[in-house]
Amino acid sequence: MADVIFSDVQKRFGSFVAVQNLNLDIRQGEFVSLLGPSGCGKTTTLRMLAGLEFPTSGEIRIGERVVNDVAPGDRDIAMVFQSYALYPHMSVGQNIAYPLKKRRVPKAERARMVARTAEMLQLTALLDRKPKQLSGGQQQRVALGRALVRDPKVFLLDEPLSNLDAKLRGYMRAELVELHQRLGRTMVYVTHDQLEAMTMSDRIAIMEGGALQQFAPPQEVYRAPANRFVAGFIGTPGMNLIDGALARDGNTWRFEAPALQLEARGLGPDARPGEACLGIRPEALTLGSGALRGVVQLVEQTGHENIVVLRVGEDLRLTGRAPGHTIWKPGETIPFAIDADAAHYFAAGPAGARLNARRSGPHESGDAISITNNMREAHQ
Amino acid sequence: MAHTKQTLLERRYSLLGLLLIAPTVLVFCAVIVYPLISAIYLSLFSIYTPTLDGEWVGLQNYATLLAKGEFWYSLRTNLIWTVGTLSLQIVFGIGMALVLHQNIWFRSLARSLILFPYFISTVVAVLVWKWLFNDLYGILNHLMMGAGLIEFPIDYLGSMPNAMVSVILVGAWKYFPFVVIAVLARLQTIPGQLYEAARIDGAGPIARFFDVTLPQLREVLVVIVMLRAIWDFKEFDLIFLLTGGGPVTSTQTLPLLVYKEAFSLNQMGMATAYAVIMMLIMLVFMVLYIRRTRTEDGL
Repeated sequence: MADVIFSDVQKRFGSFVAVQNLNLDIRQGEFVSLLGPSGCGKTTTLRMLAGLEFPTSGEIRIGERVVNDVAPGDRDIAMVFQSYALYPHMSVGQNIAYPLKKRRVPKAERARMVARTAEMLQLTALLDRKPKQLSGGQQQRVALGRALVRDPKVFLLDEPLSNLDAKLRGYMRAELVELHQRLGRTMVYVTHDQLEAMTMSDRIAIMEGGALQQFAPPQEVYRAPANRFVAGFIGTPGMNLIDGALARDGNTWRFEAPALQLEARGLGPDARPGEACLGIRPEALTLGSGALRGVVQLVEQTGHENIVVLRVGEDLRLTGRAPGHTIWKPGETIPFAIDADAAHYFAAGPAGARLNARRSGPHESGDAISITNNMREAHQ
Repeated sequence: MAHTKQTLLERRYSLLGLLLIAPTVLVFCAVIVYPLISAIYLSLFSIYTPTLDGEWVGLQNYATLLAKGEFWYSLRTNLIWTVGTLSLQIVFGIGMALVLHQNIWFRSLARSLILFPYFISTVVAVLVWKWLFNDLYGILNHLMMGAGLIEFPIDYLGSMPNAMVSVILVGAWKYFPFVVIAVLARLQTIPGQLYEAARIDGAGPIARFFDVTLPQLREVLVVIVMLRAIWDFKEFDLIFLLTGGGPVTSTQTLPLLVYKEAFSLNQMGMATAYAVIMMLIMLVFMVLYIRRTRTEDGL
């Protein structure tokens, strides 16, 4: 049974379409990330689920109930804000107790629930402090506590880690995942950080321009991006995207770009001869051996590996990964190879749909297929 | 710990600092410290205003005024006026600021118009109010009689408690825009996410006002109350022009009493004694008020 359902939800601000025809089934107990660049509609989507924005059309359900006309306080949700939004004049304990107080939970019961939540989040010693006396990480935990104390059906988290420093962010990611496992509650998490989405989510909903691009588990998003936008957005360093054309010769397909020709394998039924885009992850380039030649443009050392940017032909740039001990210098010509089986193909255009044949793997779920089809329709 | 000797540069900086604050300190002494001391000094004399001649009487003026019923009566009047008008200013001011903070039509226009009573000259404002209040040809009586609310004209300014109520209302009308502007400025800086968090936590509009808005307004309200309390306590022209302290002495606040002593009874020494007492009363109130708000903030 799905716990949160968006059916054909649209949100307009005047003539600007913030979210278009969104269909999303979030299962009970699932950790779902809404991921995308600024202005992609992810926050608007979350705010509609919270009841802070009203959808222009469509239906939002939480459990069995259509919540379009239900006030935020009656939706049985809790939200953690990016700014934490702690009540500055209340102590930590009063902040955590506030949602209980507004729901008229008796005082003794309230105190017990606050104490239990505080203990779980290691806030017991801080209960009498005011928010401004706390560090960022502590404030974050108080905001979580205020959400947790009520044990709501759905947790909404709006970029909750973006105000923390890198180290604390890594720690809190693990905390949140652990919390999710322990509570088993549905969590909807908005982020623009693909690392957070990839590491924490059961499934990621990638949005761009108000439209859902792909809704799938992290591995599938990475291995079988539904379109060119997803392919370019997910992965650091990003996938190499090369514009060219597909040509058919009997049963074999070739991909041809000015600086690169490649036998195209694994194309699906949607492939047509003509303009297309080739996508190659940096790890699908083998540097140091192979039949192709490229000039080293730039080497970024990260320690355990080097990110190498190659120039191939006149103006093609390819990014690859090499072990940290390789010592190529800029200007050096080196051999390389492309793993043709790991190549992705997309139709022409910024959101060109994936052309590869579908592999039946453990990561490709039925939901994802229907979503990808929807997307293809939406973009035609 | 051994005192370290100042370097030449440090001494030069100190000297420069002294030179820079010297003008302010001199002006401050000339226009605030000197008149203050002078007033305290004058209050120890019995002085005839037109000639400013007088003789030393020591604390006799203070003894006289504290024993006088008129002082205590005026003090009581002064407190009623201050508390009354200030409360109304705060209530109307916050209410109007909340309205103007909403996305209403013609918001900018309304925000400018609301300042009108504050900008208008007190003399003009009082003149207009006196016309409105007039018991013979005032429009207020006319309208209320027309509506059948009253049978006979009401004497708004010439009888009690009407006069006090009228003065308090006009004071509130004249000065509430100050509260509106200060509160409105603060309202605009309250983070919207606090309200959203409160809505999700299940707080209705009233709970959101008391749990989010009011606590956020606290600091600005402390300043507003302090400033307005001082200004209202020493308000002279509005009351003087509207009722002249009457009927008889019913609305005679301490500033009016000071004026009467100084320029009607020509007792400048006595008047300054009243003024000094007024200052002490305000000082006590301010100290108590600041103390109280500080402890509530947990500072």
